[in-house]
Amino acid sequence: MLRHFKSLSRNKLLYLMILPGFVYFVIFKYFPMGGLIISFQDYQPYLGIQGSPWVGFKHFVRLFTEPTFAMLLRNTLILFALELAIFFPIPIILALMLNEVRHKMFRNSIQTMVYIPHFMSWVIIVSITYVFLNVDGGVVNEIIAAFGGSKISFLTSTEWLRPMYILQIIWKEAGWSTIIYLAAITVVDPQLYEAAEMDGASRLRKIWHVTLPAIRPVIITLLILKIGNTLELGFEHMYLLLNSLNREIGEIFDTYIFTAGLKNGQLSFSTTVGLFKGVVGLILVILANRLAKKFGEDGVY
Amino acid sequence: MKRKIAKLAALTLCCSLLLSACGGTKSGANPSSGASADGRASISWLNILQTPSPPTDTVLSKIEEATNTDIKFSWIPDASKEERLNTSLASGSLADIVTLTILDNSSVRNALKAGVFWDVAPYLDEYPNLAAISQDMRRSASIEGKLYGVPLQKQVARNGVIVRKDWLDKLGLPVPNTTDELMQVAKAFTEQDPDGNGVKDTTGFMDRSDLVFGAFKTLSSYFGTPSVWSVSEDGQVTPEFESEGYLKTMDYMKELYDNGYINQDFAVTAKTDQQQNFAQGKAGIYVGALFDSKNLLNLAKGIQDDMELVMINGITSTGNESDRAIWSTSNGVGGLLAFPKSEVKDEEELKRVLKFVNDLMSEEVYTLMTYGLEDVHYTIDENKAVTIKDTSLWQQEVQPFAGSRPKESGFEIHDSDPLRKEANRLIEENESFAVLNPLYSLESPTNSEQGSELQKMITDATYKYILGKTDLNGFQQAVQNWRKAGGDKIIAEYEAAYKAVYGK
Repeated sequence: MLRHFKSLSRNKLLYLMILPGFVYFVIFKYFPMGGLIISFQDYQPYLGIQGSPWVGFKHFVRLFTEPTFAMLLRNTLILFALELAIFFPIPIILALMLNEVRHKMFRNSIQTMVYIPHFMSWVIIVSITYVFLNVDGGVVNEIIAAFGGSKISFLTSTEWLRPMYILQIIWKEAGWSTIIYLAAITVVDPQLYEAAEMDGASRLRKIWHVTLPAIRPVIITLLILKIGNTLELGFEHMYLLLNSLNREIGEIFDTYIFTAGLKNGQLSFSTTVGLFKGVVGLILVILANRLAKKFGEDGVY
Repeated sequence: MKRKIAKLAALTLCCSLLLSACGGTKSGANPSSGASADGRASISWLNILQTPSPPTDTVLSKIEEATNTDIKFSWIPDASKEERLNTSLASGSLADIVTLTILDNSSVRNALKAGVFWDVAPYLDEYPNLAAISQDMRRSASIEGKLYGVPLQKQVARNGVIVRKDWLDKLGLPVPNTTDELMQVAKAFTEQDPDGNGVKDTTGFMDRSDLVFGAFKTLSSYFGTPSVWSVSEDGQVTPEFESEGYLKTMDYMKELYDNGYINQDFAVTAKTDQQQNFAQGKAGIYVGALFDSKNLLNLAKGIQDDMELVMINGITSTGNESDRAIWSTSNGVGGLLAFPKSEVKDEEELKRVLKFVNDLMSEEVYTLMTYGLEDVHYTIDENKAVTIKDTSLWQQEVQPFAGSRPKESGFEIHDSDPLRKEANRLIEENESFAVLNPLYSLESPTNSEQGSELQKMITDATYKYILGKTDLNGFQQAVQNWRKAGGDKIIAEYEAAYKAVYGK
């Protein structure tokens, strides 16, 4: 007890610095968790939690038995897998490439250029996509038609939704995501490169044997964090792309929670969906972390 | 021991904070209606905004004068009304008057049934304008026999077909009267270069991604589809998409799509784009509210100055006058002006607010909300015919109020614009052959809860059929899925409700 107190008083400044973050989590993350109670109720706002009737697992039963559930889970997992497989490595590769650019001005201007899309909202990006991919008068389709091809209905087809979704993420976020890797690369000991050079390593060899292993912990950490957000794919982005013709592969948990919960006012049911999403995320993070430790990495905790 | 107590105390504190943070009915933070110093009642109004921006104060202050109130508006943009109304209901941040235009939304319906709002039925007859609301209208707007607000009286059926008259004349075509003739016009508009620029760049229809207010539902009326539900003589309930007319309409739309007689991306087109494109001369047939013709003409100014429009409300698939029909989903009920008990505390306050609504329905306030101020926004002749002086000023300062009028027709003052006059005449005519939704005022708990989620299955399948991504089997499979996922339950509940009300 005393020992704890001593270490607390010795490091009080450090603890003080944690305080705002701690308070943030308590207020915005832990307090609202109490609201999860409503997934066991038929919650009606004007009756409040005390007044609303308890219905046990009714909403869970509905969630797991509705045919929508399989669709939502499938769509979410497929999109997540695609994001992980295609998008995740790109910032790493981009960071390694940027790191190899020696001309400082050139490098800075490229960095600025790839950062900019991050600051655009999804509304703008999706609108731009629409203008380009429209069947009636969209630039891309006009070009296809000019070369004698038949127009492709990108926006209303199930085949194009996933590629479009991933490409948009790459365009928007790939540049911005390099920042953390570039930061990790800067702390690599230059002596390692010199030693590698002495051993006659080529540029590619140096990337493979020095840079990549050096940023491996960062990659693992980001991967685990990413997995924690499995079912959290970015509501706004998908919501803007959805329409009647691509819904069967485009509807994901996030968009479903919005339409069922906020638009149709089924607060309890959508809370249930959200709870399920959170639990799955938690389990995956724990698994990924265990796995990372097994392979000799540090993990996130 | 001490530590244990401290822990326990901390835990209890956390729990109680948690509960208080997320539970309980919140008392309204808004100042409720009450008389201000000059004797005017102050009334807050949560209202739907159907225009891009809220109105300025010029007209508002006149309305306040005429009704002897101070009005405080909170505007909700029409596009996000579902989310915003639901969050307002959930957080209890309401106003003295709440405009509810989406009565089929489950949380709105639950709130109504839970008694959040006053039942106004016993009070209506005390006010002359409110007393004039017909019993039919009151019945249609009530839920389980209770009227939770003053019904917004809209036209029963306002849709029809609008066609470019100048294009028809140019190609020597008559005004279409049957769906087949309409198809011929669409074909000619697509293939015969009606704008004469030598390029094949026009289509027949210009539609938007809306199966109700776009072309689909209006066309489906022409094929004899019931509106939303039909009830047979022995009380059997059938959804519209199981009718023959619905399938015929899908085939008709499919033909339009396959031949390129309709804009190919109508499934993702927004209303504003639809109107803009039409005004730019990209197409010659528009299906929607008949009074949209005036907007289209306004939009076309300076781009398509030759544009002449003809409005048609009498198309049939058979050519028989007796088969004329046009859908009415909400049977003329545009929604409710509802008064939450949390804001309107007692009977006395309710009566004051009702008096205000009654005053809104006077000809004087109707004129203000429809046309604006005389000599500023409009001029009037001895026959009470109004001419708008400056359309853009009117759109800015008056139009936002037009959507909030509790009553839309039955006044002597009228538009002198020939197109508007004609639109009003046709809409009035529509009333005599409108197809009503027979279940509109009945209750199905499953429909309130899951109806709109389930409807998506049908909407998606309809689009897929039209675009050739599924066939009749696929569509019927979707209907079966709909039935299994809750549709059967909805039908059973409606049948029971129908029996309970209309008896056997």
